[in-house]
Amino acid sequence: MPWVARLRYSPFPIVALASLLVLLIAGVAIAVLNEQSLRLQTAREAGAQADLLASAVSGALAFDDAEAAQDYVNAVQINPSVLTAAVYDENGRMVASFVRDGETVFHTAASGERATMFDDGHLLVARPVEEAGQRLGAVQLKLLETPRAQRFSRYAGLLLVLGLAALVVVVLAVAQGALRRANRQLADRAAELVRANALLQQQMVEREKAEEALRQSQKMEAIGRLTGGIAHDFNNLLMVASSGIELLDRTDDPKRRKTLSAGIRQAVERGAALTRQLLAFARRSPLKAEVLDLRGHIEGLRFLLERSLREDIEVVMDLSADLWPVEADRGELELALLNLAVNARDAMPQGGTLTVSGCNIPGDDETPDRVCLKIADTGAGMSAVVASRVFEPFFTTKEVGRGTGLGLSQVYGFVRSSGGDISVESREGVGTTFTLCLPRSSRTPAGAGLVTPAAAEEPRAKRKATGRLLLVEDDDAVAAGVGHMLGDLGYRHVRVANAAEALALLEKDPRFDLVFSDMVMPGEMDGLGLAQEVRRRMPAVPVLLTTGFSEAASAATGEAFRLLLKPYGIDGLSEALAATLSERTA
Amino acid sequence: MIQGRASILVLLALLWSLPLHVAAAPRPAQTSLEYSVKANYLVRFAAFVEWPAQSFATSQSPVVICVVGRDPFNGALDRAVRGQTAHGRALAVRRPDTAEAAAGCHILYVGRGGGGMVRDGQRPVLRVTDGNVSSDRGMIHFVIDDDRVRFHIDLQAASRSRLSISSRLLNLALSVRGG
Repeated sequence: MPWVARLRYSPFPIVALASLLVLLIAGVAIAVLNEQSLRLQTAREAGAQADLLASAVSGALAFDDAEAAQDYVNAVQINPSVLTAAVYDENGRMVASFVRDGETVFHTAASGERATMFDDGHLLVARPVEEAGQRLGAVQLKLLETPRAQRFSRYAGLLLVLGLAALVVVVLAVAQGALRRANRQLADRAAELVRANALLQQQMVEREKAEEALRQSQKMEAIGRLTGGIAHDFNNLLMVASSGIELLDRTDDPKRRKTLSAGIRQAVERGAALTRQLLAFARRSPLKAEVLDLRGHIEGLRFLLERSLREDIEVVMDLSADLWPVEADRGELELALLNLAVNARDAMPQGGTLTVSGCNIPGDDETPDRVCLKIADTGAGMSAVVASRVFEPFFTTKEVGRGTGLGLSQVYGFVRSSGGDISVESREGVGTTFTLCLPRSSRTPAGAGLVTPAAAEEPRAKRKATGRLLLVEDDDAVAAGVGHMLGDLGYRHVRVANAAEALALLEKDPRFDLVFSDMVMPGEMDGLGLAQEVRRRMPAVPVLLTTGFSEAASAATGEAFRLLLKPYGIDGLSEALAATLSERTA
Repeated sequence: MIQGRASILVLLALLWSLPLHVAAAPRPAQTSLEYSVKANYLVRFAAFVEWPAQSFATSQSPVVICVVGRDPFNGALDRAVRGQTAHGRALAVRRPDTAEAAAGCHILYVGRGGGGMVRDGQRPVLRVTDGNVSSDRGMIHFVIDDDRVRFHIDLQAASRSRLSISSRLLNLALSVRGG
């Protein structure tokens, strides 16, 4: 119904209007009724007085006693509101009268009829004088009616109350209207807000995705910039390994052979450690703040830092042993340090020293405790103008193709998101120092930093083991190498090239003590799938998986399979196999 | 009707104006005026006196005004009675010449020579006497006082005759006996 809607949304509510109207009508009605009843009463009183006078003067009129008539008329004077009183005889002539100052009286009666008249604040009452039906004359009284001002003042209170009530109603109505309008606006605004919020949420999600992609590309860029140094390093390692192998072939001296094989093993282990770190570094992972022991962490990173810099750059670590823990994302911290190191390397084309130092800065009332890292180089330095812009994204002084300008902006973003500060000091020709300050964490680090490379491992005494293994490996070279190692350790083995072959063989000949499988293989089923299938079909046969891919590795550990990371040495293989087999027997 | 009332008013006005304006007129005229006033008064008495109900034959019976002895009114009484009522009854004038004939009277004016005919008694008759005629006083006794017609009232005699006289009439009397 449209009128209901109109009622609901009219600015001056109809209900208020109606009540106002009712109030007014009631007020006026009360006043009019009051006035009328008052007049009636006045008229009644005056009539009674006139009747009294008329009956009193009847004798005097009948027998022409004007004095007696005057006495009765004078008695009426007592009533102060009587202005004039007159008694007329049968012929209308005035017999007796009483007139107050300023009033006039008719000397002849207009008529002998009963009459009551209101006239401009006066009340005229006429009564015939009769006795037992004989008409003897008439009396007339003129009374002062209640003056207008007095009458008005009687209603002034009522008017005031009415006015106040009207005011209240109007104010209420206006307030209600305003409230209703405000509510409507509020609802509109809330709807707008909801829309804006939804948009914002969407933008936030997109921005997160973009930031994720940026971080990954920053990492990849850093790796790209490291590649030169790492390739060089690998060349050196390969040089050591290949020359070692050649020399091995040429000599039969056991002592010399031992030295050579140790050198080769060391080179291979260094290469393995390097690739492991690179893979761990490149892994996609969400940002996660954890409590870090900076000293252990940076020392663990030293190996990668040294590899990514050139030989003519000396890396000096000066980290005090009691550095406070901080809370930050592990990968971002590593990336930041690598970015700074690569930056320093590029600033020192003629070589120099990269100093990584760290110290605790106790806070005061205003600033919290902080841990500050200084990465200083002895390179070309920067001008003040360049120094003021180094943290801007895409700002670079390098020629096209050598840097994207994202490195230092990553460092800046990392420090800020960790609640810290970064500053740069640079003097041209002397060097540049970046200072990263991170707030101290009140918690203690969960564990040691990076996995320390297995460089320190001593070759163990060879133990003879027994068992029949199924080796699943697609690469013939690797399979051959591993096959030699297995034979050396005392295991017998059958090699197949993929998961399907492995399952087919197991179907025919299930008598294997262990399945040793590569994870990433061609074919419909990969190593993890095979392992799950074997576990399902033959729960008694344990599975050892191996891979060089970090992502595959995390998948395997997620499925609770024992894992051996490539590259591995014969000792690592021996231990892993022994542990896996012991699991079966246990 | 209005015409009729107006003519009556004019007539009455003429009559009424006479005693006030011609107070100092010569004797014969004054006598005539005096009796005209007395005739009016006799009519008015009918309104101020109440008779017991049994003194009227029916509810329509008139109030009878009787003149005994010589009639001094010279027709003024008949004129005064015309058109007048009292207690819802018409007024009638009679001139009885025997005591028996005066039995139905309600107001009895005693003229010259009528003194012995009727006495105050058990009958509810308002006996009006005149100082001009004799010093014998009836229930109401006309006198001339200060050139005006006034009267004395004998309330005792009236009460004996079971008449009640309005206090408004008593107030105007020169004297009230037994009040």
